[in-house]
Amino acid sequence: MTYEFTKEDLDEIERIKAKFPEVKPATLPVLWVAQNRFGHVEPEVQRLVAETLGLPESHVHGVATFYTQYYKEKKGKYVLDVCTCLSCQLCGGYDILHHLEDKLGITKGETTDDGIFTLNEVECLGACGYAPMLQITNDHYVNYLTKEKVDKLIDDLKEDKLPDYEKIEMPLRKVK
Amino acid sequence: MAEVFIDGIRYEYEGEHRLLQFIQDLGKEVPFFCYHPSMSAPANCRQCMVKVGQPVKDRETGEYELDENGERVIRWFPKLQTSCNIMIADGMVVHTQETDDLVKRAQKDNLELILINHPLDCPICDQAGECPLQIQTYKYGPEGSRFEVKKVHKPKRVQLGPRVILDAERCINCTRCVRFTDEISKTHQLTITSRGDKNYPIAAPGREFDDPYSLNTVDLCPVGALTSADFRFKARVWEMNQTPSIDVTNAKGSNIDLWTRDNLVLRITPRYNGEVNDHWMPDEGREAYRLFNENRVSKPRQKLDNEQVNSSWNNAVATLLEQLEGVDKQDVAIIGSPHASVEENYILGKFASLMGMNQPVFTSQIEKGKGDGFLITDDLAPNANGCRLLGFEEKDSKSIAAIVKKARVVLLLSDHLVDRGVLSAENLADTFVAVFATNHSETTKLANLVVPITCAAEHAASYVNIDGRIQRTFPAKETKYTNRRLDFEMSEGRLDRYGTSFDNWITEDNKVDCMPLWRFMSSLAEESGLENFSLSSGREIMEEISELVPAFEGVSYEVMDEQAGILLQGVSKTVKS
Repeated sequence: MTYEFTKEDLDEIERIKAKFPEVKPATLPVLWVAQNRFGHVEPEVQRLVAETLGLPESHVHGVATFYTQYYKEKKGKYVLDVCTCLSCQLCGGYDILHHLEDKLGITKGETTDDGIFTLNEVECLGACGYAPMLQITNDHYVNYLTKEKVDKLIDDLKEDKLPDYEKIEMPLRKVK
Repeated sequence: MAEVFIDGIRYEYEGEHRLLQFIQDLGKEVPFFCYHPSMSAPANCRQCMVKVGQPVKDRETGEYELDENGERVIRWFPKLQTSCNIMIADGMVVHTQETDDLVKRAQKDNLELILINHPLDCPICDQAGECPLQIQTYKYGPEGSRFEVKKVHKPKRVQLGPRVILDAERCINCTRCVRFTDEISKTHQLTITSRGDKNYPIAAPGREFDDPYSLNTVDLCPVGALTSADFRFKARVWEMNQTPSIDVTNAKGSNIDLWTRDNLVLRITPRYNGEVNDHWMPDEGREAYRLFNENRVSKPRQKLDNEQVNSSWNNAVATLLEQLEGVDKQDVAIIGSPHASVEENYILGKFASLMGMNQPVFTSQIEKGKGDGFLITDDLAPNANGCRLLGFEEKDSKSIAAIVKKARVVLLLSDHLVDRGVLSAENLADTFVAVFATNHSETTKLANLVVPITCAAEHAASYVNIDGRIQRTFPAKETKYTNRRLDFEMSEGRLDRYGTSFDNWITEDNKVDCMPLWRFMSSLAEESGLENFSLSSGREIMEEISELVPAFEGVSYEVMDEQAGILLQGVSKTVKS
């Protein structure tokens, strides 16, 4: 399969390039443009990025493989990153993960046969205050997870209903 | 003058220096892995830690502040510094591992960290014996590791390209190979993939590491992560001899080392010469070891009844003499060779003039567009400039063919003109062709007499490179008629010293039955009654050349060795790169 950027993508890339004195720093944002377009940055996509930017393929490959949030292979439509780092773990992160594994019939790191869900176990996403939590495809956070909440989330996502962005106030410290 | 204090000793310096390089240039040592004098210093191996401080100056008076003992007050950097990327500054005070325990400890701990995931497979590793990691662990490392859990496993035996194989587990991610492709060969073919303890160098997916200079990364690699597909598992470093030489596969004349064992050249590595090749050489030049070992002409060969058979040296001399005496002197064509050394060409020219024959001509071997402006040249021969400086006339292929057609006897010096397409079999049909050759080829097959001569790995002789620099080789492998123990220019390894012909690691067959051209020509001259011809070594011939040929004035082996080659005047570049 050959990949190509659309006209809008190319305009976006030009805007990104204009922000930097050199081309190299544009690698990261342009990889995002590519991943948003194609859903992943497989080697062919990395090559496309390298060609578009006029950078060595090896450089783009090195950058793409350094960051885990660039998907180097095809993933499901929704990637569920379940945090199991300390706070989430204590509040039941593994329960959520195992519940999802049972519900989706896959183990962590795998994609469902219908190509809708990929399940990952990840380290801290910086939302310890609302543990346990998961992130959907590098974007929406879903917080204070319970099994019921997860079931509803899966049903919603099957209908392409993404949860709203949640704004959670931090508890104010009482000033004496 | 600016001053710097290293381990309590005061040194003066001028200009800008990286601290690590400065310490090394003093003959002292700080361990390191990622630093390389010809490349940038990313300081990512963290091994070259030293303690650095600057004296405190009074801002108003500009005087150094002194303590109660009258010593300068030193403001130390808050942490240890990597000496590779710190520039020395006036008044700087440095403590290396020799005078500071903290530095010693830091280096030791860093080595322990580096070795955490390093497989300790030195016994089967090609790098063992010339491995900075091995050496520095012995010198500065911990006695053991405190790491008791399973090591991280990474890909092994990855064929990065046609010539380089990666063992990712051994890699310490110094990025020297990556920086080499970025900064020196500029192909940008390598990168570090992944991160943390899972990273290792690799080419972009689906791409080969086929850089024409790729094998330099094998030399650069401070561990056994990158190994040469060709040399892998062939020999241990300590079993080989290392002999300085010159790359004869193109006109750049990269300085090299020949690594021999049991009189076979097993590998070729570059040798530093800042004026010619820096630390590098093209991959093609490393292939030349086959030329030195394989398909060699051993024993003279003579055509009898249209079939080439082995002959004796006496027979070869007598046959050639008979042919030369049987024809008119003007009917002898002598063809020199840009593939042969200055000495060999000179001796041929000398013979021609003493016999009253035509002076040798030669034709250079150019492949347009092959050169890259770095170490690969259009000119495929190492010594075209040497022939020009000797005053040999340069001819194109057509005129060479015409000269050969007209002649009745042709003397051809190690240049495979038929293989090159300069001559055809028909051109040589009606003439007596004597070829002085190192290797068998289509050309030698057609010859009436093949005289085996020594190759660049077997004699000391000099070559003039594309820029007019004359450099010389050393004998690295023995012939049937030379002996390491008698020739002081030859290096002698452990196996050579203690081996006897009864050992299974000594093979008499690896010694080729060949002679330096000058020895053969001396016998020929003697038989034909020429006096004062005898020249017994390349050194002696070069002495004569420097006396008689103005272009070579002042050239001698001593000066060449001292100055890493001599730049000759009066060389005009005929080929660009």
